[in-house]
Amino acid sequence: MAPHLIVAELTRRGGRALLGALSLVVGVATFLSLQSYSAAYREAARAPLDQIGADVVAQREGDRPESFDGIVLPHSTSPLTVEDVHSIQSIPGVQAVAGATLFWSFQEEALLVALGVDPAVPVGPARLGAGVTEGRFLQTGETGAAVVDASYAAERNLTEGDSVQVAGERFPVIGLVDTARAGAVANANVYLPLSDAQRMVAASDGVSSVHPTTREDVNILFIRADPLRGEQVADEVSRQLGETALVTTPQSLSGLVGATFAAVDRFGIAIGAVALLIAVLGLLRAVQANLLERRRDMAVLRAVGWTRASLRRQLIGETVSLSAVGLVGGIAVAAGITALLSLITVSIPIPWEVSPTPHFVPGGAEGLSVQVTLDAALTPTALLVVVVITAVVALGCGYLAARRAATIKPAEALHAQ
Amino acid sequence: MPSELLEAVELHKSFGEVHAVDGITLTIDEGEFVAIIGRSGSGKSTLLNLIAGLDRPDSGALRFRGGALHDKDEDALAIWRGEHIGMVFQAFHLLPTLDATDNAAVPLLPRQKLHECRRRARHRLEQVGLGERLRHRPAQLSGGEQQRVAIARALVGNPALVLADEPTGNLDAATGSEILRLFGQLREQTNTAMVIVTHDDDVAAAADRRVHVLDGRLVS
Repeated sequence: MAPHLIVAELTRRGGRALLGALSLVVGVATFLSLQSYSAAYREAARAPLDQIGADVVAQREGDRPESFDGIVLPHSTSPLTVEDVHSIQSIPGVQAVAGATLFWSFQEEALLVALGVDPAVPVGPARLGAGVTEGRFLQTGETGAAVVDASYAAERNLTEGDSVQVAGERFPVIGLVDTARAGAVANANVYLPLSDAQRMVAASDGVSSVHPTTREDVNILFIRADPLRGEQVADEVSRQLGETALVTTPQSLSGLVGATFAAVDRFGIAIGAVALLIAVLGLLRAVQANLLERRRDMAVLRAVGWTRASLRRQLIGETVSLSAVGLVGGIAVAAGITALLSLITVSIPIPWEVSPTPHFVPGGAEGLSVQVTLDAALTPTALLVVVVITAVVALGCGYLAARRAATIKPAEALHAQ
Repeated sequence: MPSELLEAVELHKSFGEVHAVDGITLTIDEGEFVAIIGRSGSGKSTLLNLIAGLDRPDSGALRFRGGALHDKDEDALAIWRGEHIGMVFQAFHLLPTLDATDNAAVPLLPRQKLHECRRRARHRLEQVGLGERLRHRPAQLSGGEQQRVAIARALVGNPALVLADEPTGNLDAATGSEILRLFGQLREQTNTAMVIVTHDDDVAAAADRRVHVLDGRLVS
């Protein structure tokens, strides 16, 4: 192989080489950018659940309370028994399960959303401890204390050391927490020890009139799963909780993001593959056209002593060099597009059932969402895929060109010229 | 007594019904200058292609310094050409993307280091009077200059035999004469055998020996 001949061919037949390289640039950049966009959106859709350290949130849909008075369960939930929890804990791929009790308390014509939290399990609402702005968070085994959402506390002029009334029971406020900092899933005004919440819910006529409840029941589960088995876990949880299961996963959240993402997520690989295929055809066309134009040159090289192996090395060297230019260009363009994608902030909608507020309360019907900056990046896997595909295509095109060149009869080709 | 360089024995080559080469036997000695003359279509270029191994005879034998060529495969013949044969064509056949130096260096590239190829190519280009045109590409050279580059390319590997097919055919009379003089000078300097196919009597007159081809046969 003569590198300076490769450079001469690529630079002095610039137009065709440029077209061949450009087709690869477009193909590689399209493929990588779509992968990057899709992966970034999928990652963004994980954010609401990531913020509370869960991969799956599971509930069982309940019935509408007979009246909105005292403690009732949001009708997106119904009690989950200890057996339900144990059964879910035993699903392969489940790493941790945190049960919580979410309830509405209608008191003095006002609504209070309360969440019973088990601070011993580092998954789910216990992560709110990271958002404490004043005082401290609940501790394992603690009862008779409350942590209040900072904005709710501001509305009610509550500070650490005050007390908050929940369904007629007073709880000392031991801390304030900026819930927004910890996410939008399972937002509440007041966070209570799980045992207190369970006790209050079990004693509530408003709940027991709709659902038989024990003091060990919870109504929302935060599940941490093996990253490779998240979807299988979600499917199994859904199967175990039955027809009324409400299971929230990053995939279900990404399904709410929008049509563009859904199309890219579903067809991204196909679109990227088609773009790469078009690029390959462009490269092949450039190589074939080049070979036709250089038929006489190939004959001359054979006439002056080049073997078929020498020609093959030369043609493969040219195709590989052209492809390398296209590959590097494509990666550079994709890196630029990815950098631009990283400037985009997207809104991930939170389904009502994982942060429920009654529809008749002002603002209750408004959808919650989490603003996430796309963390777009070129993944090593996608890079490896394009490098391998480009290498295979380059070698394939070069080999095909060399095979055609080997069939050229010098005497005929030179005579024809 | 000059030793025998190349021997062709009873070569036959047909294209369909046409017997382009019909039983030609020919011997070329070391350092000999032979002109193959004949009308257009007489079979002289086909004979040159057979001698060069660019085409295969239907029958007959070819020997180079006593070794058989007719049973070698294409790559072995290519290597043989690279080591022993220089080719000059009527239409020059330079590579358009390369400058004069790299064009002249082309036969050596598969076998030698680039700087050595270029050094030898520059030497041959200076020998043919193109020392000032080393970086010019074919499109920047006149017809005569392009043919000089082609001659430098033919000589760059120090061949034992140069085969030239109508080397002055695309040149005006004056330039053709210059090229012919150049062939003569180079032959004196290098003692390279030359076989030139031509229908030009002036070119033929410069040769040590003239062989006349008519309808695929040698007639004198």
